[in-house]
Amino acid sequence: MLLQINFKSGKPAYLQLVDQVKAAVASGGLRAGDSLPGIRPLAEDLRLNRNTVAKAYAELESQGVIETAPGKGCFVAGNNSPLKKEVRIKMLSDEIDAAIVQAHHLQIADDQFLDLVRKRLDYFQQQNDKHASL
Amino acid sequence: MSTETPAIEIHQLARKYGNTDAVNGLTLSVRAGQCYGFFGRNGAGKTTTIRCLLNLLKPTSGSVRVFGLDPARDEVAVKRRLAYVPDQVAFYPWMTVAQTLEYLASFRDRWNQQTQRELLDRFRLDPAKKVDGLSKGQKTQLALIGAICPEPDLLILDEPTSGLDPIVRREFIQTIIGAYQETAPGRRTVFVSTHLISEFEGLIDQFTIIENGRAALTLEADAAREKYKKIRARFAGEPPRIDVPGILNLRRVGRDLEIVANGASDEIIHRLNAHAPESVSTEALTLEDIFLVSLK
Repeated sequence: MLLQINFKSGKPAYLQLVDQVKAAVASGGLRAGDSLPGIRPLAEDLRLNRNTVAKAYAELESQGVIETAPGKGCFVAGNNSPLKKEVRIKMLSDEIDAAIVQAHHLQIADDQFLDLVRKRLDYFQQQNDKHASL
Repeated sequence: MSTETPAIEIHQLARKYGNTDAVNGLTLSVRAGQCYGFFGRNGAGKTTTIRCLLNLLKPTSGSVRVFGLDPARDEVAVKRRLAYVPDQVAFYPWMTVAQTLEYLASFRDRWNQQTQRELLDRFRLDPAKKVDGLSKGQKTQLALIGAICPEPDLLILDEPTSGLDPIVRREFIQTIIGAYQETAPGRRTVFVSTHLISEFEGLIDQFTIIENGRAALTLEADAAREKYKKIRARFAGEPPRIDVPGILNLRRVGRDLEIVANGASDEIIHRLNAHAPESVSTEALTLEDIFLVSLK
């Protein structure tokens, strides 16, 4: 998996890492048990501070996306978010609300919005299938 | 916020040379474990400030504390825990690389031989070579190795990369800071003064821009990139005139409008959208751009 940082996006570098790892897991680019690069080599590779990479990994771990095996590094976790289902649904609702607000301001009608959601879900499914067939 | 003693605390520091104020009311605080950028043009007061931290100069007024201690009163206790690399490094020319490091190690309680071997290897520095025969870049590398092997709690770098080959300097500052932070990340603090900011873009947690001897701007790097934005919009006709506080710079070229803003970018985009632009895009300023616009 190729992680990259764009400072011009205005999004904190650690969050860019968190989102990229989560996206890779969701699209099958990373699977349960896959190992992540070590903190120091990744920091050197991306020209980041070690603190930034450590913060991203800590965040991913607290969200249940990755696990740390002492002395062995970080691995993608199985599907076991530490949060309760209601909490997970609430978190996702907040994200969906933000997308709905955006859709309104970009004049995207409801049916178009739903259509787009289906298309994006299909896209992630295709990515998963592609990775599974490799 | 942690209640831990800051690695560096500077309060209303002033230092005069005759009638000239080199530093004039500087206040800043560096948390343990941070990589802190001290940005300013030549002559802004960076080196004078660092010299006060090291008790090489006495403040005219104000205070400096390192690990909560006054470097003038507890000089040895302070220096035991820090390492300093000046912008001009000097060694005994007759010593070899290995002898130089051995000599530096003799002043220290601790010395990480493994870090030394690893970095000599990474930088392809020959331990048997006389220091006299090293290039300027290699001498700086040697000084940086000598600074991190004792595993100090604070690493003070004064313009560590100026005068060096631009291609190698980015890489080796990254290597040094990576190796330094490896052993005990939470306790490894870096305070780096520079005017070559782009090399440190991803390394800096927080920074102060010093201008005319005082802090012109102090921000966390992430917060800074979130706040300072360049907004570009293209219109069907002539771009509208908009006036929002926080606009630092505005250029109109034909149908294009380019705005540099300090905060307020949502408000600006909202105003622009009212004029039905064909396109609007935003990007964050880099730390170097922020440095340049803050000194205008």
